[in-house]
Amino acid sequence: MSWFERLFARQRIDADLSEEIRGHLDERIDELVAGGVPRDDAVAQARRQFGNVTRVEEQARDVWTWPWIEDLFADLRFAVRQLRKSPGFAAAGALTLAIGIGANTAVFSVVDAVVLRPLPFPEAHRLVSVWPRSPAGPAGAFNVSYPNFFDWRNENRVFEHLVSYRSTPISLTGSGDAVQLRGQIVSWDLFPLLKTEPALGRGFRPNDEDAGARTVIVSDALWKTRLGGDAGIIGRAINLDREPYVVIGVAAPGFNFPVGGEQVQVWVTLAVDHRSDTVQPVTRQRGSRMLSAMGRLRDGISIEHAGAQMNGVAASLAQRYPDENSRYPGVFLQPALGELTRAARRPLLFLLGAVGLLLLLACANFANLLLSRMAEREREFALRLAIGAARSRIVRQVMTESLTLTFIGGAASVAMTVLLVRLAVPGLGTAIPRIEQTSVDGRVLGFALAATALTAVLVSLAPAFRLLHDRLSDPLKDGAFGTVRGPGGLGSALVVGQIALGLMLLCGAALLMAGFVHLTRRDPGFQPDRLLTFSVGIAGQEYPRARQIQFYDQLLDRIGSLQGVRSAALAMPLPLTGSSMTVGFDIAGRPAPRSARPRSDIAIVTPGFFQSAGIPLLQGRGFTNQDNSSSPPVLIVNRAFADRFFPGESAVGKRIQPGAVADARGPQMREIVGVVGNAQQSPLASRPDAICYFPYRQLPWCCPSVIVRAAGLPTLLEPSIRSVVSSIDRQLPLFDVQTGDQILSLGVTPVTFLTVLMVGFGAVGLLLSSIGLYGVLSYAVVRQTREIGIRIALGAAPRAVLLLVLHRAATLVAAGLVIGLAGSIAAGRFIGAVVFGVDSANPVLLLSAAASMLAAAWLATYLPAHRAASIDPLLALRTE
Amino acid sequence: MHSGSVESRDLFPGALEMMILQILRRQPSHGYALVQHIRRASNDLLQVEEGSLYPALQRMLKAGVVKARWEVSPSGRRVRTYELTARGAKHLDRQLSTFERMLAGICLVLSPVKP
Repeated sequence: MSWFERLFARQRIDADLSEEIRGHLDERIDELVAGGVPRDDAVAQARRQFGNVTRVEEQARDVWTWPWIEDLFADLRFAVRQLRKSPGFAAAGALTLAIGIGANTAVFSVVDAVVLRPLPFPEAHRLVSVWPRSPAGPAGAFNVSYPNFFDWRNENRVFEHLVSYRSTPISLTGSGDAVQLRGQIVSWDLFPLLKTEPALGRGFRPNDEDAGARTVIVSDALWKTRLGGDAGIIGRAINLDREPYVVIGVAAPGFNFPVGGEQVQVWVTLAVDHRSDTVQPVTRQRGSRMLSAMGRLRDGISIEHAGAQMNGVAASLAQRYPDENSRYPGVFLQPALGELTRAARRPLLFLLGAVGLLLLLACANFANLLLSRMAEREREFALRLAIGAARSRIVRQVMTESLTLTFIGGAASVAMTVLLVRLAVPGLGTAIPRIEQTSVDGRVLGFALAATALTAVLVSLAPAFRLLHDRLSDPLKDGAFGTVRGPGGLGSALVVGQIALGLMLLCGAALLMAGFVHLTRRDPGFQPDRLLTFSVGIAGQEYPRARQIQFYDQLLDRIGSLQGVRSAALAMPLPLTGSSMTVGFDIAGRPAPRSARPRSDIAIVTPGFFQSAGIPLLQGRGFTNQDNSSSPPVLIVNRAFADRFFPGESAVGKRIQPGAVADARGPQMREIVGVVGNAQQSPLASRPDAICYFPYRQLPWCCPSVIVRAAGLPTLLEPSIRSVVSSIDRQLPLFDVQTGDQILSLGVTPVTFLTVLMVGFGAVGLLLSSIGLYGVLSYAVVRQTREIGIRIALGAAPRAVLLLVLHRAATLVAAGLVIGLAGSIAAGRFIGAVVFGVDSANPVLLLSAAASMLAAAWLATYLPAHRAASIDPLLALRTE
Repeated sequence: MHSGSVESRDLFPGALEMMILQILRRQPSHGYALVQHIRRASNDLLQVEEGSLYPALQRMLKAGVVKARWEVSPSGRRVRTYELTARGAKHLDRQLSTFERMLAGICLVLSPVKP
């Protein structure tokens, strides 16, 4: 009989056994009666000889039972009954744990989606990002040029495929309004690299890279919306940047490359970069570093081995082309996943650490709840011990109860996670790569289960320790006049721990909040209110450089004359959109070796830019329309640039030679004609970037954004600006329309996310630790009711009683605060990695966090202390 | 399972099982008949508490060394008759040989020392 059958056969076994024993007795009685014994005597004798029927039946039945499982079920039933008797305790406990586990699970679901999940391609662990490495700069900071990429591709023996990619806006015209698409220019073997295929049609082939080839693979979404979702699209041409491109494939739904960015809509090959609208096509400019590269390691090749071989290739390139490559003697390889998650990893791990603390705090709270509850039941336990229950049996009973509650809390936490993920994640947009893929799946549920199990162990430690080490029989002996015990040392230790953990969370929240305020309140260096910015897609053959300049002249002219527009200008890049363009330069009279040239951010602007953006001119002059290609080359720098490179002297009049090239004349020596205020370029940088501004007419690179200062609400201008653009050229798409304030808040979205979460955790931490303190103090007061009553009866002033409670509270709180502050300072380095512009050991912040905790602790102490002081001695002594 | 399930403390653990198996090898019997048999066969030397038989029988059922079925006895009673299984027979042989070796050993130790 299997154990399974046995579970169900039990009733029959019992019935058989009873009948068998009854039969045995009957047979014996009949025999005795037949031998002449009176019936009553016979019955007695038979029973005597048989022994205790009930005990025999029990022993016989026990043979079949599973004592462990059956006790567990009995314990479970008992636990549920007990919990239903005190719903307040059950709800408080389960809720505490649900918050602790739920917060952890929710953060884990984000960490899993963003950091842990592999890239969605077969054998994704073999995908690596490949970067040129320069001893002068951080790893992964430099791009590769086409000629170098081609050499990498030909000379490496470690990659199955090595693919270049760069993003570009591409306009789609032909059917309906012109739209700007996010495009990627890639080398032909993108799909083989990823070991995937387009859902429809084919991937690129090597000859799609040929100079005249124009083929495109479109995203599923673009195909379904704009292109009508017709499978017949394959082989047809669409107009991209006003050139016909043959659609050869439609990517699978959900496919995106590069992974984690905004959804790319079209992929074209580098054939388009062969065209020459500069002096030389970029595919032949070895110094034009604009590409990212990703490779798939050959089977059995380690990333170290690949790095060594690629270093060899790079070294040889540096020898062959020293002018362009001597500064990049090596390569830097990184797993593609690590590259993607590099920025998000630290803040997310920080959050995971914070919720970990929160869970510990919740556990401590719950453990304390269990301890007080056990204390209430001490008499029950003592009684059960006295009548013969095994101590282990009582421990098991208490454990079952806490486990039941923990798992109820765990189940509730899953509901909470789903809610959090649904509510919070969509609000984050695309600021963090892959975050939109956050979902509550099997892995997340597994995590919830593991967290619940860990919690169950943690919360059971304290009660188990208490049960195994305390003399549980004392309460019975104590009787009505027993001595009074304070709250257990264990409970006090837990409260100290809670206050410490709560304070650490508060400190983290305070630091992040201060960082956030610092970021959002600091002067961005320009005036973002009443600014409207947008871009126009004029890349392509229809707009060679001369026509671009003419177009922008016309555009600025017409926008400037619109009602409600103060001024308009061009800028590339816009302030606060990240440090995307940098250039090395030589300072006249200070020769430096090529590899040690100073670098700076650059921006290309038109004369009205500083006025439109609200950036003050500090020294010298601004740009004018006379600063064009036929006049002497000039520059304007910001104050950070002047302070860094010309400290203690005036930068105006100094001459530098930046490596930015406008035409065949090559780099030119430029005179600094003005110094302007610091406008922030990187949204999260702690100190202002050095920037040099070029006049657009002397460096007419494609494609600047337009910045418009409005007299009133900037968004009101959008319709009239759109009609201006389409009146110049109906085929031009207008995109990235943003107000200055939007740019300002977009840059800090990840920080906002972190801060909001952390403040939430800090608040919950504060609440939980105050509740913990309140619980222990109230409990102590209840336990000491008689003692306090006697004191009052003997003439103690309420004030003295108050002090009694306050003293205990003060000891606990002080210990907690000291430990918490020490912990916060120790964790400061970790926090410093994600907090911007704030010293992680800032004493004002730490002390204000401690003050908040102290205030909450005071509230938690006040009620129990007040209750103690107002104890009526008569009632108190009558309570027993 | 208390060792006290066998009234006579002289019975060592497993002795009752061994005797039951041995009786059943000769002839399938029900509980009451087993008790009577033990008493008679031992010339009333072994006083088995009748009740202790039943936990032992349940243990043997569970171990699969005996099987049981309901029958009507010659005296017209509905009784549960136990019989030895093949596994039970093997088990008994092993037990007996172990027991005999043990008994021989004990006897050697207890036999009077020859001067």
